[in-house]
Amino acid sequence: MRTDFAFVGVMMVTAALLMGVTLIAAALLRPKKPNPAKLETYECGMSTVGDTWVQFRVQYYILALVFVLFDIEALLLFPIAFAFNSLTLFAVANVVLFVLVLLLALIYAWRKGALDWE
Amino acid sequence: MGITVQQVIFVCLAAIVLGAALFVVTTRNLFRGALMLALAFLGVAGFYVLLDLGLFAVAQVMIYIGAISILIIFSVMLTCGMQAMIPRNAQAGGVAILAALLFVLLALVFGPVRLTLDLTGVPLLSTLFRTETPRVVGDVPWRYNTQAVAETYISDFGRALVDINQFLLPFLLIAFLVDVVLAGAILIARQRKPAEVLAEQQEIAAEEAAEAAALRTAEGAPAMPSTAAATVADH
Amino acid sequence: MDVISNLLKIISDFVAELIRSIFGFSPFLAELITMGLAAVVLATFAALSFMGLTYVERKVVARIQDRIGPNQAGPFGLLQPIADGIKMFTKEDTTPAAADRWVYNLAPLVIAVFALTTYAVLPFAPGVVGTNLNVGVFFILAIGSGSIIAILMAGWGSNNKYALLGAFRTVAQLVGYEVPMLLNLLPVVMLTGSMSLIDIVNHQTTLDGNPGIPHIIYLPLSALVFLISGVAETGRSPFDLLEAESEIVAGFHTEYSGMKFALFFLGEYVNALAVSFVFATLFLGGYAGPILPPYIWLLLKAALVFFVLMWLRGTLPRVRIDQMHNLNWKFLVPMSIVNLVLVMLALKLFPASAAAQAASGGVLVSPGAQAVILMLINLAVLLVSLSLVGRAARRLRMQEEALLAQRRAANMAMARA
Repeated sequence: MRTDFAFVGVMMVTAALLMGVTLIAAALLRPKKPNPAKLETYECGMSTVGDTWVQFRVQYYILALVFVLFDIEALLLFPIAFAFNSLTLFAVANVVLFVLVLLLALIYAWRKGALDWE
Repeated sequence: MGITVQQVIFVCLAAIVLGAALFVVTTRNLFRGALMLALAFLGVAGFYVLLDLGLFAVAQVMIYIGAISILIIFSVMLTCGMQAMIPRNAQAGGVAILAALLFVLLALVFGPVRLTLDLTGVPLLSTLFRTETPRVVGDVPWRYNTQAVAETYISDFGRALVDINQFLLPFLLIAFLVDVVLAGAILIARQRKPAEVLAEQQEIAAEEAAEAAALRTAEGAPAMPSTAAATVADH
Repeated sequence: MDVISNLLKIISDFVAELIRSIFGFSPFLAELITMGLAAVVLATFAALSFMGLTYVERKVVARIQDRIGPNQAGPFGLLQPIADGIKMFTKEDTTPAAADRWVYNLAPLVIAVFALTTYAVLPFAPGVVGTNLNVGVFFILAIGSGSIIAILMAGWGSNNKYALLGAFRTVAQLVGYEVPMLLNLLPVVMLTGSMSLIDIVNHQTTLDGNPGIPHIIYLPLSALVFLISGVAETGRSPFDLLEAESEIVAGFHTEYSGMKFALFFLGEYVNALAVSFVFATLFLGGYAGPILPPYIWLLLKAALVFFVLMWLRGTLPRVRIDQMHNLNWKFLVPMSIVNLVLVMLALKLFPASAAAQAASGGVLVSPGAQAVILMLINLAVLLVSLSLVGRAARRLRMQEEALLAQRRAANMAMARA
């Protein structure tokens, strides 16, 4: 099993090397004539004012949290789906309960307007 | 016995995880710290692969890099004015000592560290522990798992999750726990936005006009925190 | 006949054997070099198909929009990708002075690496696969989370408000649409009883000696939702909010130019092609097919899916951000959950194999009958969901109209007064 994953590691290293070589080749080929105007942060021709780090909407955090909820759900459901053929009806009823409880969370978030994007 | 490839990979992964973790606790740059945390998570996924637990490696990547890291980065971004402020940590020393103690404890419990305690001469402790001879603490042999992971571990895990004699109760509790977490987060997040709470109260007050009000705010409010708002910040 | 249909396997076996005979003194080294070569071939395939696809897509979208498309470089503009490549290589690449150099420069590399790694688990023909992971389906989804980190790196590293806004939008979209994707992969895994892509293909090829049934017939709704979320995951039109020019310039890659920009582009196309391959493998039977060799079948099926993606790009306008989120959280996700629950129950009540029946009872049906039952459930869920959405939309429209009429009346009254 770990030998199956060895190829994944090799693939990542190879891809990183290939892409790195491409980037380095491009760095050698391209002209490099920086001037202050070029190095400015792009803002439609205006000069930048203030920090980039503006405070973001809390909405993003809530959406990410709902996502975590479903991510965990899926993580637990995949092994169950793997063994699905050998499960009893009782077990599947419990899985359905599990899914419905999470659906409840989605409905709660929906009712509270956490899913609305104004 | 020569060095196996697995050992080399293990050492490399350990170096990556430890290096990334050290960077996380020492850096002042929160965003870079979060990125390094993701790298450490990736290294831990590598450990799972070495343990022949591919499912957990992939789950580690998916949950910790794909979800938790992003949650952390989002919460960093939510913190206003982080760039101007240099985060300070007054508890660093205490935490370092605590971590060292924890490490010693773990080494004693799980590791081959051997510690001989000679309490015979100490007045209070010798009566407390009733020792006449030096006592040996630790010396637990490293626990090698010589049993290979079963090929069917994924379906075994799946079956165990819904088996009433094994993990059915925790499995269902997870669903409720996650529900509660989400409800709490929504509650707190809504409290932080007084304007929205006010709007909600108005909505309740004017029942018939509720939908109309929602429509109007939807038309009026900008979809994103605009850059115009950002430029107000002092430079 | 056999030689042609097994061409890829014969070549790869030959090369592997050759390397093994050369590096006979060290089996480990031989293995490593074989894997490295396979990785180079896969990465090159992905990079070349990226070049080809940019041309094909521009031509196809141009035809849809009644234009000609690239036609200057070479016959029919065929050399356009090469011209683009030369431009990308020789274009000056500015790093903004305010950028976080490390994060900024690493982001395109990370996105390209994770996009290419997806190809490690795609089965191209029987026996021709980078590696047959027993968690293949899960792996493809997990590897996508690397791109999410890369996008945040690009947005933050650029130190540009547009880039950061674009990155946040993109991430919200990507994590959101991962949910329906996951939920609709589950029925496929349940049907197959495996997460290995090869097992999934085999399940659609042969079922207890009988010819198998493509999963799209079992699960048309899951296939549809998977395709929609796949389009959203790759950030292509109509879900290309991440580069809504009118709002946030070019999104998270606003500050990138030259080769680094090209790598982002490569990531997008490679991901889109990977989605096509995965869709073809999961729902259309992968490399299975009569007469033609398997790899041709897979390419044809993937090309068909990619054509649908291009078709969508050419015809649909970009959705608004609130519509994008609403579509996901208020339509696709609830619908997928209901569908999942019903499919689970149906699979238990109408098992298709004796082993499954022994575990849970129920009525033993033939695979064909099971397929029909699941398809009917899928279609019923889709129709009910659509009619519910239709009713909700009608109600909203009526409210809006009533509101307008009210306003008009108020205005009239004001004018009269």
